[in-house]
Amino acid sequence: MLLFRSEEHVAQWCAERTLPRGALLTVAQGWRLARDWYADRLDPNYRGKTPTEMKATLTRIGLTGPYWQA
Amino acid sequence: MADGAQEALDDRVRLRVFERLLDDGRAPSVIEIAADLRITPQVAADSYRRLAERRRLVLRPGTMDILMAHPLSAVPTPFTVETHGRSYFGNCIWDALAIIGMLGDTGRVITSCGDGCGEAMTVTIAGGEPVDPQGIIHFQVPRAHWWDDIVFT
Repeated sequence: MLLFRSEEHVAQWCAERTLPRGALLTVAQGWRLARDWYADRLDPNYRGKTPTEMKATLTRIGLTGPYWQA
Repeated sequence: MADGAQEALDDRVRLRVFERLLDDGRAPSVIEIAADLRITPQVAADSYRRLAERRRLVLRPGTMDILMAHPLSAVPTPFTVETHGRSYFGNCIWDALAIIGMLGDTGRVITSCGDGCGEAMTVTIAGGEPVDPQGIIHFQVPRAHWWDDIVFT
C-alpha cells in the first residue's frame, strides 16, 4: 500500500509493472482504516477481528465491493 | 503445554515484542525474548512460530528474525513515522498511519510518491484527523490475496 501524488502517478506505477490498478483511498479513508483496523493491537489479550468485525470496519469507511472481499 | 497456557504465553511474547520495538525500534531475538520472559529459547522460538502461523508476526523466511509485527516494521522502510517524539518504520502507508493511531492521535508519516518520481510527501495527523491531506493511497493487491506475499502487499 503506497501513497501517490495523484491518480496519474498510480497509473504510471501500475503500467511500469504491468499490474492492474487496485483500490484507491483518500488519505482520510486510509487514516480511518488504519486507526480502526489496528486500534486494539496493543491490547494484551488481542485476538484479532472476527470476519464480521472486519467487514463492518471496511463498510463503515465505504470500502465495499469485490476488492474488499476476504 | 495446555492450549490456554500456550495462548497466554504467546500473548506475553507478542506484547513483549511490541514493547521492545516501540522502545528502541529493534525487534528482539528469540534469545532476548527468552531472557526477558524467563523462558527457554526453544519455548520462545516455538511461540514465534505459532505467532507467525497466526499472522501476528512475520518472520524473515528461513529464520527466526522478526521482519514485521504489524503495523511496525523491524527494518527500515520508505515510511518513517514520527509520533510522541519518537520515530518508527511502518510496512506501508496503511501501517505507518496505523502506528500513529495505535499510539495516539497525532504524528506524521514521511515518505515519497510511490512511483519513484522522488517527490517527498508527508501526511500529518493532528487531533485524530489528517491535516490538509494530499495525495491518494493505492492498495494494489485485493484483500483476499494480501497474505499471498505480505512483503509485496
